[in-house]
Amino acid sequence: MQPIVLGIETSCDETAIGIVRGRTLLANVIASSVDEHARFGGVVPEIASRAHLEAMLPSIERALKDSQISLSDIDAVAVTAGPGLVGALLVGVASASGLAQGLGRPLYGVNHLAAHVSVDYLTHDQPTDPTIALLVSGGHSSLLQVDDITGSITKLGATMDDAAGEAFDKIARILNLGFPGGPAIDREAVSGSASAIDFPRGLTTTNDWATRPYDFSFSGLKTAVARYLESTPSFVRADVAASFQEAVVDVLLLKALAACKSSGIESLVIAGGVAANSRLRAVATERCEKAGIQLRIPSPALCTDNGAMVASLGSLMVSAGRPATQGAFDADSSLKVEQVSL
Amino acid sequence: MTLTLAIDTSTSRTIVGIIDGDEVIFEKFHEGATDHGRALSQLVAEALKVSRPPKQVVVGMGPGPFTGLRVGISFAHTFGLARNIPVIGVCSLDAIAIDANEYTVAIDARRKEIYWARYKDGVRIEGPSVNKPAEVDGFILDQYPDMKKLVSLSTSQNVTEPMYLRRPDAVPTAERT
Repeated sequence: MQPIVLGIETSCDETAIGIVRGRTLLANVIASSVDEHARFGGVVPEIASRAHLEAMLPSIERALKDSQISLSDIDAVAVTAGPGLVGALLVGVASASGLAQGLGRPLYGVNHLAAHVSVDYLTHDQPTDPTIALLVSGGHSSLLQVDDITGSITKLGATMDDAAGEAFDKIARILNLGFPGGPAIDREAVSGSASAIDFPRGLTTTNDWATRPYDFSFSGLKTAVARYLESTPSFVRADVAASFQEAVVDVLLLKALAACKSSGIESLVIAGGVAANSRLRAVATERCEKAGIQLRIPSPALCTDNGAMVASLGSLMVSAGRPATQGAFDADSSLKVEQVSL
Repeated sequence: MTLTLAIDTSTSRTIVGIIDGDEVIFEKFHEGATDHGRALSQLVAEALKVSRPPKQVVVGMGPGPFTGLRVGISFAHTFGLARNIPVIGVCSLDAIAIDANEYTVAIDARRKEIYWARYKDGVRIEGPSVNKPAEVDGFILDQYPDMKKLVSLSTSQNVTEPMYLRRPDAVPTAERT
């Protein structure tokens, strides 16, 4: 029997409901408040939290309709327990608790980052673990070793300052490309030259490779772009976008492939919102092919925050016989990636 | 009368009740301004153990500190959906029971302000509003919504939006100095 699991994700500005049967995606509904945040240049937690509450019931109802199941068919409920914005997470956790308690079904509080990786199970037949996972989004940039997606994840490294997606947002802002910055820079870069400007690759000195090989830093890159714009009044915006994007993509893949090599794991999953970036997808494909590494990147709709990934991880936990979260629990805004579930 | 699950998280307390007409079958609270999430599902589980399945949910829609308030409303909404029973929202301040003809009740709104409302002969005549305490005359603080009264309000009210009474704190990029 393949479990039917409903997943709820509210860690940032997406109210997302996914429903899976085993490893088959039945529904993936996303209501985003991104437009309401655009004029603030970033996500405003209180606006996001209000939007979650408003969107929750319509999104659940829509997901049930899309999947052509009724609530009583659901075997388990899964919810992102963290990490994320605490006020936003709490709407999801309370909604999931009400649903699970109302239905009398088990509730799984799961890790947002692990869920991002687990969504790959919905798109590929072969088991993904063990694998190296590069998780890049507006809130996170981590390199993980996944030995068992339902219980054993090791953090190899993470960003020491900005997340990769955050760097995209900030550079898009100074280039007047709007918010969110990822898609805007991706579009602008198409007509630019990736090698026009040689922007720095953070934490890639010999010393860095020896002491923190899998950590990232994007603040130096951000400063370098700002300085370049100041000193080059006649700058070509598309070239700046393309060269900045190239610097991010290059360093992400340098470190991800180095992790594959040193661990002997010939598999790489790239997930998170930045994995929707077309240049990252293209360069990753090229370099992994050359290195003999099996690359998996979920479709762009499953890369950004979504409920399907939460349902997917929940379903994998049920199938693996992992216990549901016992008793009541709180959202944990700084949940560590090693803790796959509560 | 309809067997009702009553929930209020508009104050520092998480309050849950099971009310059947005049009869209070269950009423319990947990004190803790950041504990609503954990406390609510525990209290509801406890309440459901001593009661037949409720036929409706009545929930306090505030005003109250946003994060906790949303926990109660979110839970009530999905619980109602799961059981296919109605969910009715009421003003939490109206549910504070005071034995007087004329009175003003207030709860902590943080940031040195209060949420308050004024009542006369059982009717709200002013508020709910948010103000500095000095701007409001003779209010009663530190009283909490009563679940029986909360449920009784559901025959005359149906508040569908949370009573935030404040806008989110944020300044548009274009207006930043």
